[in-house]
Amino acid sequence: MTQYTDLQLDALRELANVGSGTASTALSSMLGRSVDISVPHAYVLPMADAVAEVGDPEADATGVVLGVVGDMGASVLLLFSPSDAAQMCALLGVEAGTEIGDSALMEIGNIMGASYLTALGMMTGMALEPTPPAAATDMLAAIVETVLAERAGAGDIALLLDSQLAVEGSDASVSFLLVPDAGGVDQLLARLGL
Amino acid sequence: MAETMVRMGELAASAVAGDVLVSLGLGSCIGLAVLDRRVGVAGLAHVVLPDSGGHGPQRSYKFADVAVPELIDRVVAHGGRRPLLDAVLVGGASMFAVTSAALEVGQRNEAAVRDQLAKAGVPVRAAETGGGRGRTIRVHVGASRITVREAGGVEREMQ
Repeated sequence: MTQYTDLQLDALRELANVGSGTASTALSSMLGRSVDISVPHAYVLPMADAVAEVGDPEADATGVVLGVVGDMGASVLLLFSPSDAAQMCALLGVEAGTEIGDSALMEIGNIMGASYLTALGMMTGMALEPTPPAAATDMLAAIVETVLAERAGAGDIALLLDSQLAVEGSDASVSFLLVPDAGGVDQLLARLGL
Repeated sequence: MAETMVRMGELAASAVAGDVLVSLGLGSCIGLAVLDRRVGVAGLAHVVLPDSGGHGPQRSYKFADVAVPELIDRVVAHGGRRPLLDAVLVGGASMFAVTSAALEVGQRNEAAVRDQLAKAGVPVRAAETGGGRGRTIRVHVGASRITVREAGGVEREMQ
């Protein structure tokens, strides 16, 4: 089913690792607290399986999405559970579920997305820039499938680079996903000589 | 009596009363139900994108132009009578308020599905589409009942 080798998946995971490391530093300086990152996962899945891999399809979630333009098309998707959204907003002194709360989460998306993409660009020599963020609070599946639908194009395989970031001294965490266009993955690998 | 999950790019049909066909959390995708209500046959497709451009992978029912004719054929294969079929559409939302036109795939999906249904001569009996909320559709085979639930809402019967 997967058309990528272990070596290629390791390389993609390493890109995600450096990208999310940079993003966690940015989040840390925004919140004034340390942020821990987990070892990222690289999932290569049939699109039908991808949504369930991310979580319970009908669970409530807030998603912040940024488009990526430049040498590779992609979407950056940050996912917050309701309690993550509440705690993240509390750390920034705003109330979740309000307009200002959404805009705080979008700002987190902006800052993390931009630093992730800068790191990815430096490693691969690609010019990558984020487009302005948008937010939605809805069923997890509805958010994830809308992003996958936009990126999947003709491909039936979805690549998800998933990193978990947890804020120290609080229960707040965020799931950070990079979803490249079908052709974008091959481009990333080509830049790495794989 | 079984719930069959119809995930992105999948489709299913049944003539077994009590079967339930489900698509959870439709965003920009369309959950398309096709039914012959008198014989109690129903099918559900989870359409992701409007048009394969003729280049879709084989056996991929992601695209409206491939999924809609295939769904109708499956319902007919299960005993549905082509002239008596009707369709119900759920989904096609715009999940993200501030986005590029490229993300308005929900509207394009709905237009493509309706176009394919019109070509096949299958009337649309009901639709809950557009807006900004995700939806779950359940098709109750036999009873020919369809329920829809929006994020944060309760399950409701569609007429």
